Amino acid sequence: MKGPRAPRPYARTMQRATALLFGAVLALSSAGPVGAADTTVTISQGVDADTLNPLSKTVTPLNNVVQHFYERLADFGNRSGEYIPLLAVSWKRINPTTEEYKLRRGVTFSNGDPFTSADVRFSVEWIKDRSHASEQTPFVRDIDRVETPDPYTVRFISKVPTAIPPGLQQPIFIADAKYFQEKGAAYVGEHPVGTGPYVLREWKRDDQLVMDVNPKWWGGRPKIDHVVFKPIPEAAARVAALRTGATDLITNVPPQYYAQISGGQNTKLESTRSLRQLFIAFNTLQPGPQQNKLVRQAINYAVDVPAIVKNVLGGHGYDLTSPIPPNYFGYDPSVPGYKHDPAKAKALLAKAGYPDGKGISLVVNAPIGRYNRDREVAEALAGQLQAAGITATVKPQEWVSYSTMVGKRALSPLYELGWNQPSADADGVVTALFTSSGPLSCYANPEVDKLADEARGELDVGKRKALYKRIAMILHEDAPWIVLFEYEDLYATSKRLHFQPRGDEAIRAYEMSIT
Amino acid sequence: MAGYLARRAVGALWALIGVATFVFLILHLTGDPAAVMMPPEASAAEIAAFRHAQGFDRPLIEQFGSFVASAARGDLGLSLRHQEPAMALALERLPATIELAGSAFLIVVLVGVPAGVLSALRPRTWIDYAARVIALVGQSAPTYWIGLMLILLFAVRLGWTPASGIGGWRNLILPAATLGFFSTAKLMRLTRSAMLEVLSADYMRTARAKGLSFARVSLGHGLRNAWLPIVTQLGVELGTLLSGAIITETVFAWPGVGRLAVQAVFERDFPVVESVVLLAATIFVLLNLVVDLLYAVLDPRIRYA
Repeated sequence: MKGPRAPRPYARTMQRATALLFGAVLALSSAGPVGAADTTVTISQGVDADTLNPLSKTVTPLNNVVQHFYERLADFGNRSGEYIPLLAVSWKRINPTTEEYKLRRGVTFSNGDPFTSADVRFSVEWIKDRSHASEQTPFVRDIDRVETPDPYTVRFISKVPTAIPPGLQQPIFIADAKYFQEKGAAYVGEHPVGTGPYVLREWKRDDQLVMDVNPKWWGGRPKIDHVVFKPIPEAAARVAALRTGATDLITNVPPQYYAQISGGQNTKLESTRSLRQLFIAFNTLQPGPQQNKLVRQAINYAVDVPAIVKNVLGGHGYDLTSPIPPNYFGYDPSVPGYKHDPAKAKALLAKAGYPDGKGISLVVNAPIGRYNRDREVAEALAGQLQAAGITATVKPQEWVSYSTMVGKRALSPLYELGWNQPSADADGVVTALFTSSGPLSCYANPEVDKLADEARGELDVGKRKALYKRIAMILHEDAPWIVLFEYEDLYATSKRLHFQPRGDEAIRAYEMSIT
Repeated sequence: MAGYLARRAVGALWALIGVATFVFLILHLTGDPAAVMMPPEASAAEIAAFRHAQGFDRPLIEQFGSFVASAARGDLGLSLRHQEPAMALALERLPATIELAGSAFLIVVLVGVPAGVLSALRPRTWIDYAARVIALVGQSAPTYWIGLMLILLFAVRLGWTPASGIGGWRNLILPAATLGFFSTAKLMRLTRSAMLEVLSADYMRTARAKGLSFARVSLGHGLRNAWLPIVTQLGVELGTLLSGAIITETVFAWPGVGRLAVQAVFERDFPVVESVVLLAATIFVLLNLVVDLLYAVLDPRIRYA
């Protein structure tokens, strides 16, 4: 037994030496070149960016990274219909189908290339080119062509007039045409060159993406010098990383950690009302009792949405009365909603020929883990229907096959879906979800189709608002949905970070500061 | 020997072709990712155009044909998510996985095997019981749970290690321990039973009767003869560890092959899934070959011709 003991002092010395050496290396490497005044913020989302090509993808975690390198002509403000000019300084409609943008002068890309109207035109055309299989094609679908009368003027011509100019429905990022054409999409996907506030220093996939402030940025110097995106897929591990100070901001915080984080020594919760609503739609295109309006109304009366918000979301949600929520353009407070009223539900079911809910057996389709508490909400709702005497079961499914089924309008009679419209305009909700040609609509009503088209092209704000009120009234009466709630989005951050969350889920380091 | 290797190479090739075919069919029969990749407001026509540009609208047999043709040239296509060569993405993550799997394997060899030997040499003592309890926990507790518990204890409570991510050796401790735990427990049990079997053999009694030292008897005669099943299992374990520790890499945000695989499966990134599976299959085939060749070294009676 003596043998193994002898080397111990030596081992201990070695350990100490290694620790010292490691500490020294750590101290040196974290000192950085610029000095103590440098500020770094680390952000942890669940996934890494797929590519840094700004013209290709549409997912939120990726946009959150890309918007630090690339900019749009204009960006959504905090309220519906409000825009913040970025690469465009002003815009006006010169005729019903032509919108002219005056571009910001003196802006350069991070490689020194000047920003001009040719870059705007290139970006739109690259997305429109179907051989590129860009996921952003719906964002430019209303733009018929782009004209560039001079380097600082660009015109978007659409086929039909739209109330929101086609360039502002979902503004796209602007890429450097010359650089993009020279290097190709794959290269650009790893080496971003934009006009934005940051430039890429290093990207180790799934490990970390580090950016430094762009000294040439036209918008001035952001308060944060370096931004690190460090993806952590597992929610519990994200919370652990925040608690140990390894990261400053985490997304998708599971509710069971709220108390721990808000009571933490160095952590806090930040929240905002989301633009994302969750709803349960009736598939009125497939046969079944849900094709009967009275049944749909009865089910709406049988559901207690405030109870779901309270019990399933822990109160972190806002129950809605209409598919056009209060933070969207087109909302009208005088449009009524359905209040929980079991007696009325019962009476309507009897009137529809299903006394006490006999003869109705409903499947509530729901995705698993796509939206916060998606499956749990469907389960609570099915429970409420059961309590009202209506047989209801939940059929949860993994997201990829679920969304394919949604696209085929094959989920019936009930299916759950979330919807987020960054433009916060009723058009995005109504056209996609309630018109007969809407990609995610399982409802067909010629009157709604007509009104939706009219509202989409109506340039007068007051008239347009009135049209959406009429649509909302029809939707209330016809009840093609069980309108549920908008989420409250929660982010957990370190106490030193000043961060104001946004309803469209965008995370912007250039709007943050630290103490 | 050369003939043996050539035959093994041909066998390996068939195995890889089989794996590739199987993965291709399984993936493509589950539908394509066009609907999830496009934004929700995309119209049916826009999704159809996207599907066409990606070639998903071609007949399955035709898609399979072009997959085989390009795979034979070592090209597994562009990742749908990253729009970069899929195999390159998988290979890019291999060093991180090797670092993690190598460390976990060291734990397996340096802890699992000696503990199994000790537990067999000292049956029904506290050493044996302790080893068996650890083996039981290691084999039955989910890796996911062990990983989170280790993070809570050592990173959050004690602050000794980082909670997640790759970096210095401190980052390696928790994921390697988590990943190695299951295999260590397995090796411990296997070594113990292999040793117990050998210890009761006649030649062991003879060795002891000859007056050889305890160490010489138990290691030189005992372990030497118990090696074959242990080495076989070690080969399999190393293959498993290297082919991507899906759960461990996810829990610890370790940028390895396993995490790439998880995301690729969730998002139906066909070329990446195919690349990762083929990479894993290749590693397995190669390790099996190495193990087979090691047999001859460990047991001179085994000859390949």
